[in-house]
Amino acid sequence: MSNQELPNARTAARPWLRDLLGELARQPAGVAGFLMLALFLAGAVFEKRLITFGETDSRWHDITYWDEQPADAAPFWTNAFASQKSAVSLLLSPSSSAHESSGGARLLTHVFTFPYRYDLPPRDLVVRFRGAGDLPVAVTMTRPDGQEITLDQEQVSAGSGSDVRVSVDKSAGQAALGFLQGNESVDVMAGVDADRIRPTSVLFSQAGPGMLAKPRALKGDYTIRLLVVLVTPTAQISRPTLVVTGRVSGLLGTDNSKRDLWSGVIAGIKWALLIGLLTAFVSVAIGVVWGVTAAYFGGPVNWLMQRIFEIFSNQPVLPLLIVISAIFKPHIWFLIVIMAVFFWTGPVKTVYAMALSLREETYIEASRALGAGSARLIFRHMVPMLIPYAFASMALSVPGAVVYESTVSLLGLGDATIVTWGQILHDAFTGGAVLGGLWWWVVPPGLMIALMGMTFSFIGFAMDRILHPKLRRR
Amino acid sequence: MYLRYALRRILNALAIFVVEMFIFSVLFTATAERTLRAQIEESLQPEAARLRNATAEQVQRFVTERRAYLYHASHLDQPAFARVLWRTLDTLTFQFGNSITIKSSRGERGVWRIIAETVPPTVMLFTTSIVLQVLVGVWLGIKQAQRAGRTLDKSASIVTMVVYGLPTWWVAMLLIMLLAYALPIFPSGGMYALPPPNGLASAIDVLWHMALPVITLVLVNFWGVALLARNIVLGILQEDYISAARARGLSERAVLYGHAMRTAAPPLTTIALLSLLSSVFGNIIFEGIFSWPGMGNLYWISIEQGDTAVTLGLLAVTTGLYVAGLAFLDLIYGLLDPRIKTGTAP
Repeated sequence: MSNQELPNARTAARPWLRDLLGELARQPAGVAGFLMLALFLAGAVFEKRLITFGETDSRWHDITYWDEQPADAAPFWTNAFASQKSAVSLLLSPSSSAHESSGGARLLTHVFTFPYRYDLPPRDLVVRFRGAGDLPVAVTMTRPDGQEITLDQEQVSAGSGSDVRVSVDKSAGQAALGFLQGNESVDVMAGVDADRIRPTSVLFSQAGPGMLAKPRALKGDYTIRLLVVLVTPTAQISRPTLVVTGRVSGLLGTDNSKRDLWSGVIAGIKWALLIGLLTAFVSVAIGVVWGVTAAYFGGPVNWLMQRIFEIFSNQPVLPLLIVISAIFKPHIWFLIVIMAVFFWTGPVKTVYAMALSLREETYIEASRALGAGSARLIFRHMVPMLIPYAFASMALSVPGAVVYESTVSLLGLGDATIVTWGQILHDAFTGGAVLGGLWWWVVPPGLMIALMGMTFSFIGFAMDRILHPKLRRR
Repeated sequence: MYLRYALRRILNALAIFVVEMFIFSVLFTATAERTLRAQIEESLQPEAARLRNATAEQVQRFVTERRAYLYHASHLDQPAFARVLWRTLDTLTFQFGNSITIKSSRGERGVWRIIAETVPPTVMLFTTSIVLQVLVGVWLGIKQAQRAGRTLDKSASIVTMVVYGLPTWWVAMLLIMLLAYALPIFPSGGMYALPPPNGLASAIDVLWHMALPVITLVLVNFWGVALLARNIVLGILQEDYISAARARGLSERAVLYGHAMRTAAPPLTTIALLSLLSSVFGNIIFEGIFSWPGMGNLYWISIEQGDTAVTLGLLAVTTGLYVAGLAFLDLIYGLLDPRIKTGTAP
């Protein structure tokens, strides 16, 4: 008397699973689904390498982190379709550095070369470094036509160590005005409102009369020099960088808070996967066990379980989810728990019907005759037979969970410590992206939700087709 | 027989609703009471200010007594369990209290009034789109079942899978960008033009504003109906009596509409309506994208303004409509399929 003679459900389930995976490999939809899932998983695993801003995940809602980016900028590749090419956002390291000392003071020169090949100038150039002590700083620019302009001179107190930023847009207004005066006539200059001049559009234009009204881009290599005098021995600077704040930026552009959307969209992958998979797994697991247990026991237990099921299945989940989120402001983990608590009703009816017929199988009877308890019968003999169905059901409930979280976030009720696609779309909607035509802000996050839904619906429908072969053709 | 079935189903729905409202009360009483207390305090201030000739002591006494009275009137002075029960009872009798900031179009503060106003636009929008979805979906589903495995069936199945996880509100955003911003064909939102036209022009104006939301809903959701219809019709087409009918030399048309659809109609109607009913409640937020002045839009407003009384009232009404909708569908199903009411259905 041993397991060899009785069909053990666990060993019986394994070929089932292998068959299922084998069949899936023969379904084009299943293959497509698994390929897309592999891409999403790769996106989540290699997130740090894919995104351009390393701290996207933790600092998405920290506006200072994104300050050097342009706001509402289109993706850089839109230049390919534009007649006038816009300057692209860049980070440049010094192309050369020099170091002189004279009488105790040291003069540091960092030279940046900015190759400007566009028609529309960048919005800003920012020279950034980490400094310590009192630092006299000067920033100069040598244009391709040989003209040299001193953009800014100032005395910076960096204290014991802080980030110093010199913005051309903010501090080179006078320099730009001076440069303009050297080229335009007195009449033109009389009508100029000094506050309305964009320094970058003057500095990147061909010099000569008419450069204000009809600027033409002066293309070529611009040399920007950062000169710092270190007076005291403790004074120092490190990590000098030139930030070019372009008109187009990144793979997917930026939003109105200057955030890089590509980084946000990629950082959202792992949250969508987590929300979808965890909710689907927990809820289907509860549903399967619930249905089997109710069918197995029957009688009053079944009656009670059916009534509880009715209460949950008669509840519109999304409105309740929204209200709970509005009132309790849940953390993402708590939201997943709530979703699981309300999603489990999905598979119950089918599982119940399947378990009713399973209960009558002879191997169950045999096992019971051998003295197997209820728990053993349910978990070792009945639940494993439903695993293929459970997998299909899980795959098909992933998109629902992702969409529901996005919808809750769309209303502005998302967890503010993370970044999800729904939150990006909330910002886009309230930020006027829809009626402002900022498509790069609206399309990518929604497309990701759609693709995530597609991935799991391909897998789920492929499984479904394997489980119901009658539905394939006439 | 049917009457007994119907009565049982209705009582069952009522019981479910009562239990759900009780659960809500347990969950949300604390929040609702915080709002209520704040409202009472706010109403006390101007009342106390009106007592000009009273001494400070008298004012103090008045405020204390008045507060005790108002607390008593709204059962705030009772133990927690009793407060939950009172709250359940209030919800069941549609006494949701007053809003903080939101007003109805006539300026009323009663939450029930505010919500009642938003039901007709929602019903109008979603019934129109459900009718269209069922028509288009069933038509496509039948075509798919007739030529199962062929190009039309395969491509429609692929589209069904593609739109499966598509958020309707995102498609709405895209269509607004495309058809209201880039090519200004449709209005971007609302229900009326400003100023609203009169007479027949007004009806056309409403239809005009309804067009884009309805197109969006139908475009995203009819595929699901088509899949259901396909699977049900295909299952029936494999039955023996269909083969028998074909063997008798009946035309494919007669087999389909005279035999297959007769069997398919009851489950098809109810399952399609059921799936659409749940899609309505899963898409309710969608109204906010179009500023369509329905219940979904009120969710947006009440959450943005933090008007808890309205939010909780909305949840109760939404749940009530859902429970009633499910019961109603079961009643239709009982009418269409006589096996249901006798309990002999599989």
